[in-house]
Amino acid sequence: MASHAIAMDDLQYKEVAGQRLLGFLFFLISDCVIFGSFIFVYLYDRHASPVWPPAGAERPDVYLAAVNSIVLFGSGATMHYAMEAIRHANTRRFTAFTVATIILGLMFLSGQAYEYTHLHDTWAGNLFGASFFTLTGMHGFHVFVGVIFLITVLIQTLRGTYTPHRHFGLTAATLYWHFVDVIWVALFFLFYVY
Amino acid sequence: MHAPEIERIIAFIGAIVVATAALTSLRAEWKKTHLDDQVTKIMLVLLTVGCVLVILVTLHVLGRVPGES
Repeated sequence: MASHAIAMDDLQYKEVAGQRLLGFLFFLISDCVIFGSFIFVYLYDRHASPVWPPAGAERPDVYLAAVNSIVLFGSGATMHYAMEAIRHANTRRFTAFTVATIILGLMFLSGQAYEYTHLHDTWAGNLFGASFFTLTGMHGFHVFVGVIFLITVLIQTLRGTYTPHRHFGLTAATLYWHFVDVIWVALFFLFYVY
Repeated sequence: MHAPEIERIIAFIGAIVVATAALTSLRAEWKKTHLDDQVTKIMLVLLTVGCVLVILVTLHVLGRVPGES
């Protein structure tokens, strides 16, 4: 009887987790639309402008951005390993990889802050500066929120909230972090390569 | 060695390490069929694309070398 009750609970949890996952994916898609709108505006401005970047605008350092990108992409890999660790009930390994992800996320934000303080462009200066600071700033805010999200799920895991079979919060945090990584691939290409 | 050159080497080595990690994880995820696993696969592929982008930038195939107009 008791095992039947537990089995039902697991089944219900699986169903609810499936619905929550779908809801979370819709949230990520809506976030994609927001970034997509700003990227469209940037591309429109860029193609409408006779010279790009506009006169007086300075292109940011591509190598510094490349290092910063690898720091963020690396955090995506560590977060994936953290997720795998919790699936194998290895809390110690999960903690190590999540802490590594948080540190890499903070390193990325520090790199971005360094870039902002050393760039001669300003938000109000020209179209390039306005687009650059708006999009990378919005992305930086997402990374900041992601770091808070990861700290929260790390505390919850250490308190025993998640198990190898019940960890929707961790799935959501991992997907959010991957999303933040992937958005940066697009921004890196647009502002530093294209 | 100048700072941009050091940054270029760090980015190149880092990109190879992360791309290898992403591809290995992708291979491990490949047979999983749940919705979150499918999304993870897409994300890992795009992460690898990002690493390839960085490798191409550090090899001067894409992007502009700092100092060039």
